Amino acid sequence: MNAAVAQSPIVSITNVTKDYTLGKVVVPALRGVDLQVHPGEFISIAGPSGSGKTTLLNLIGCVDTATSGVVSVAGQDTKQLTERQLTHLRLHTIGFIFQSFNLVSVLSVFQNVEFPLLLQRKLDKNQRKERVNQLLEQVGLADHAKHRPNELSGGQRQRVAVARALVTRPQLVLADEPTANLDSVTGQNIIDLMKELNQKEGTTFIFSTHDAKVMSHANAVVRLADGKFLDRLTPSEAKRAMAAGAEGH
Amino acid sequence: MFQLFLIAFRNLGTHRRRTLLLGGAIAGVTALLVILMGLSTGMKETMLRSATTLATGHVNVGGFYKVTAGQAAPVVTAFPKILELVRKEVPELDYAVQRGRGWAKIVSESSSLQVGVGGIDVKDEPGFRQVLQIHEGTLDGLDEQNTVLLFEKQAKKLQVKVGDTITISAPTMRGTNNTVDVRVAAIATDVGLMSDFNIFVPSNTLRSLYQLRDDTTGALYLYLKDVSQVPQVQARLRTVLADAGHQLMDNDPRAFWMKFEVVNREAWTGQKLDITNWEDELSFITWTLTALNGLTGILIFVLLVIIGVGIMNTLWIAIRERTREIGTLRAIGMQRTRVVVMFLFEAMTLGALGTLAGALVGLAVCLGVDSAHVGVPEAVAMFIMSDRLHLVVNAGSVVGAMVFITACTTLISLIPSFLAARLKPVTAMHHIG
Repeated sequence: MNAAVAQSPIVSITNVTKDYTLGKVVVPALRGVDLQVHPGEFISIAGPSGSGKTTLLNLIGCVDTATSGVVSVAGQDTKQLTERQLTHLRLHTIGFIFQSFNLVSVLSVFQNVEFPLLLQRKLDKNQRKERVNQLLEQVGLADHAKHRPNELSGGQRQRVAVARALVTRPQLVLADEPTANLDSVTGQNIIDLMKELNQKEGTTFIFSTHDAKVMSHANAVVRLADGKFLDRLTPSEAKRAMAAGAEGH
Repeated sequence: MFQLFLIAFRNLGTHRRRTLLLGGAIAGVTALLVILMGLSTGMKETMLRSATTLATGHVNVGGFYKVTAGQAAPVVTAFPKILELVRKEVPELDYAVQRGRGWAKIVSESSSLQVGVGGIDVKDEPGFRQVLQIHEGTLDGLDEQNTVLLFEKQAKKLQVKVGDTITISAPTMRGTNNTVDVRVAAIATDVGLMSDFNIFVPSNTLRSLYQLRDDTTGALYLYLKDVSQVPQVQARLRTVLADAGHQLMDNDPRAFWMKFEVVNREAWTGQKLDITNWEDELSFITWTLTALNGLTGILIFVLLVIIGVGIMNTLWIAIRERTREIGTLRAIGMQRTRVVVMFLFEAMTLGALGTLAGALVGLAVCLGVDSAHVGVPEAVAMFIMSDRLHLVVNAGSVVGAMVFITACTTLISLIPSFLAARLKPVTAMHHIG
């Protein structure tokens, strides 16, 4: 792999807008956002409610389409892809961690984690089993493989979601407020786990949060406000900027 | 695929009340279908057994003899040679009998009736003994010349009992009426519509009534080992008899007595043979079966529409409840086709389990009713040719019904499944409700 390819961004967003139509009213969620994320980065997207964090993650995750501008993931312009190709891209390139875990309630922990591998149809049964067990071990849930999601605590469920997001070894993991529904200790554990996987596996993580403590673990903090890109800061700069903003209020 | 099936199966288990309600409805329709099919098959079997023994063979070689163009008699002349040929050319034959055919007035001291008169050689009629229940007298009594077998209702109307004498009066081809006095040798239990207008006398008595030769009869009734072979045998007989020089009538699927008018209008004279089967000869009563089958069809259609609406509604609710799950699965990379398959599995599993339960219930009801010898009102007995309900379950039909209803439920679920698959992941994931 040459240096130029290695440096090419995994996510490239250029002048992206996204409007939602509510009845006769058009509500702009993103207004000309530019962003580049490189492989191996651990990026936090910060901003108050309604700033466009989730919308941005949805566009990067190919679960929604931009009104205008270019969203490129793993070198592919998502606007040029068919629904089938977008689904394929999500399955093979992107992992998702949702705020409210979004596990399949009728499947066991093992089956939930195994599910994306079944959709991929790349590995045989033994290889799948090995991969899932290894991940469950990593997230500390090896003993809970046969449990159903409703038999687990919130933190445990989110760890299952992390394992499910990582099981396909995606290049990019998107996490929308992964700690919002967890207590601070459990939230910290989840972020530590994500960070560990980022460092060990080199997986790119983009997660949204408005918790300064969580933000402090990121390589960079991208701040949004009113659907606009504000700045890209280091965690300490972001903390100061947020503190100043709070004092200003 | 297994995982999709597992999700579908477990979702059914999770929503137990809804599953039980809808599965119960599917089971109910299946059970009803199985019972109605059992009743229809039972009727057909009873009709086949009773009516074929009394009024027709599985295949018949009958015909008309015309002295002049306008005078037809329902007879077959020189029948022994034809019978010999039939025995040689029809290996599927179980046994064959000759039956005289006539239409006469029977008169007692107090009343009279118009009936069809069958001439039989009772010793050559093994099926006759199995079908008829002799209420009074003996069947062997028909061995004697100038005897008659009546049915209960006829005996009641004529106010006669075994040993009494009645007169049979029949118009001959010469335009005169011949009469013969016969002694009531046996009174049999009624067997539906057939016993309302049929009596039986020894062949020789019928011949003497119509002044026919010994080698003349009404028709040859052929009973096959397997009734399903009727069409092949019928077709072969047409060829064989034509090759042997016999004149054959065009195929006309009606009872012989319904053909007089047509035959009398035709210009030919002499003997023409008519090859018919049991359904042709009973076409005037098989409408009951057709009506039952039609009614079954309509009923099942209506019920399936109701079930279909139920399944659609249930899947709508299921999809609404699981919209976020669909969104999540689509987000993590499930293609639309698989979402459709997942919901189809759910409907198919529900359909398969429901129909299995329904088939078992239907089967149990059929076997129970059949073995309980449930009696039926006289009006019903007249049509089903039996005084009790006879239900026969055909395994192939039951499996067919199960597959059909399961296929219907699965197909119906295609619409909500497609709509579920069309949801945008982001819309589905943020769905509330």
